[in-house]
Amino acid sequence: MESRLKIASEDSLHRQCPRITVWKTRMPNDTQPPDQSDSVAPTSDGADQDSAVPDAAVPESDWAGASAQRESDPGDSGDFVILGGEAVVPQRDYGPPIESVLPDPERRKREIRELERRVRERLTPAFPIEQRRHLPLEFLWRRYRQLAMQSRSDVVDEFGRDPIVLSRFEPLLNLLYTSYFRVEATGIAHVPDTGRAIIVANHAGTLPYDGVMIMQAMRREHPGRRDARPLVEDFIFHFPYLGTLINRIGGVRACPENAERLLASDQVIIVFPEGQKGTGKLFRDRYRLQRFGRGGFVKLALRTRSPIIPVAVVGAEESMPILRKVTWLTKSLNVPYIPITPTFPILGPLGLVPVPSKWYLIFGPAIDLAADYGPERADDRLLVNKLAEQVRSTIQSMVDGALKRRKSVVRG
Amino acid sequence: MTEVTPEPIVDAEKPANRESMTRSIAVIGVGHFLGIELVKRLEEDERYHRVLAIDLYRPDIPFEKTEFCEVDLTMPAADSDLARLFSEADVDTVVHAAFLSRPTHATEWAHELEDIGTMHVLNACAEVRPAQLVLTSSTMVYGASPHNPNYLDESQPLRGHADSRFINDKVGAERQTMRFARENADIDVGVLRFAPILGPTIDNLFTRFFSRPIAPVMMGHDPLLQFVHESDAARALKRAIDIGARGSFNIVGKGVLPYTTVLALMGRLPVTMPHVVARSLSRLLWVTQVFDSPPSFLDFLRYLCVADGARAKRELGFTARYSIQRTVLDFLGVATDDGAPDPDRIYG
Repeated sequence: MESRLKIASEDSLHRQCPRITVWKTRMPNDTQPPDQSDSVAPTSDGADQDSAVPDAAVPESDWAGASAQRESDPGDSGDFVILGGEAVVPQRDYGPPIESVLPDPERRKREIRELERRVRERLTPAFPIEQRRHLPLEFLWRRYRQLAMQSRSDVVDEFGRDPIVLSRFEPLLNLLYTSYFRVEATGIAHVPDTGRAIIVANHAGTLPYDGVMIMQAMRREHPGRRDARPLVEDFIFHFPYLGTLINRIGGVRACPENAERLLASDQVIIVFPEGQKGTGKLFRDRYRLQRFGRGGFVKLALRTRSPIIPVAVVGAEESMPILRKVTWLTKSLNVPYIPITPTFPILGPLGLVPVPSKWYLIFGPAIDLAADYGPERADDRLLVNKLAEQVRSTIQSMVDGALKRRKSVVRG
Repeated sequence: MTEVTPEPIVDAEKPANRESMTRSIAVIGVGHFLGIELVKRLEEDERYHRVLAIDLYRPDIPFEKTEFCEVDLTMPAADSDLARLFSEADVDTVVHAAFLSRPTHATEWAHELEDIGTMHVLNACAEVRPAQLVLTSSTMVYGASPHNPNYLDESQPLRGHADSRFINDKVGAERQTMRFARENADIDVGVLRFAPILGPTIDNLFTRFFSRPIAPVMMGHDPLLQFVHESDAARALKRAIDIGARGSFNIVGKGVLPYTTVLALMGRLPVTMPHVVARSLSRLLWVTQVFDSPPSFLDFLRYLCVADGARAKRELGFTARYSIQRTVLDFLGVATDDGAPDPDRIYG
């Protein structure tokens, strides 16, 4: 603090007498007039010392009194040593003293204070800024912010994917991909390296592992390392915690507006047209593709002129075998059904751990609807339904072929 | 940490597309941020030779060319008073900004002011026929719903909220205005829907909410939030008046952030609770007038209500200068002047 005071007061000295052209320093045993240093040294309140709005808490009388005292202070003129010994500085006329041109620093400060006061007066009468800035226990507050921001990024993309959350879950996803499901992706190069595309896949399992695994396959194995965004149905998307997590690692709520926005920015989206009928498929219906919704993905492909890449997911439909669906009490729990799997309600949350089946992701050749049909055909209901059915049967035959080649559910 | 906005500070204002370069304008509602800021900007713009500021109370700022007129919009004869004022001053632009920036417990009065007050303004406009009418609204009129797409554009229905007078009065005002616009095709009617405005000086529902050290978090829900900086909002309003906006526009800031991240950035303590508990607690605090955010506000902490500003960019040429991170830091008063982050001040 001592050295700081000295620097500050020397600075003020130079400003007071800018005509002096030799370096001066104070004798080490020189004592400061305390009131003067008060007025010039920055406030000891470290956090705020260089804020845009100077601390208005310093009472006016304080600095006014200090300046009055300084003018009458006689001790300011003596006690200098000249650095460099006997350097002789010729006394010449250097023009009018600068003090007469520049205003007195005290007066300048006073003017700035006054200006600031007027600006503050003109601000909309508002919630006091000081209250937001000076929270009680500032040290704790800062520590808390540090902790709170540690596990999240302060920049998320348009749809809420948080890169830090994603990188935290990356090891888990990789573990699931390589060791648990031992995913084997074939034909992934059918997805274009650039530009928009719609990946259409069959859907199964209560939890949307399939979407996450396709996303992971695109990130790990596609030559362009593309980010594909799975579209998630409402029931999962608004499910507490689960929906938030899926959103942070890249999932987007399934609705035409979101899909169009993603495709318009040339991204790859993953859709499961079976929707809830797919996730709620019973074990005995496995690999029998359900109705493809109302063909929304075909309309989307026609309107945005994007290619459709059919994907068969084999292995996922055994990972969460649903034996029965209970619809009792579901209204009040706000879920469409409660699945009964061999493990689920009995083992509690542990029952949600999937069977470690071997997964195959088979990417088929792109179906380019835009080559045959113009965007205006998106309103042709019969055509849309026919095309959706075609895509469904393509995926169904891909699934059937893969099932024939597969020998064991777990070993592949 | 915060992204520095690369855009130039002064953007080239398009010339006003009105034939006469001097305009006479009436601003209704100068008791809150947008109204006052607009009047301040009009004071400095010599294209506007006459400015009427209409409110109940005179704002505490010095006026040079602005004339203050006292009109109570809740009075039954307010429309004829307004019509007389407009025709005396030969007003060609009317800005209706007399809306509450935060909910009040006097819901009856609020309804009279917002819904009926808008009716009075529209009646006066139908009589005087100004060239332009601009209404300020909020993106909250879309309502927070689980069925909202991530980005709501202007064509989305105004769902409002089932039990929020604060929002529904604004929806009512907008519906009347839209009907008025259909019936009077010769008047340019512009509606600006502002995303939640945040900033160092503005006082509204959101700044009050985020000024508390603790904030409720709905268990398991973490929607994306969107803000617009107060200076961006004021600039957008001025711009819409300058170039004569027609239709409705979302005025939004740059970027979105999850609610809990906003709380973490602000250093507020999140208190996680199930929605049912939060709802009854909030109702209790609202009824006893301890808190000033009604229980319906909790839905905005559960579901998305983020608007798409593409139309304002396309037709008004307005893009926000402040990113959401910068807006949040500015609200806290910790953003530095040059826009560069000051890690010392933020993280200690």
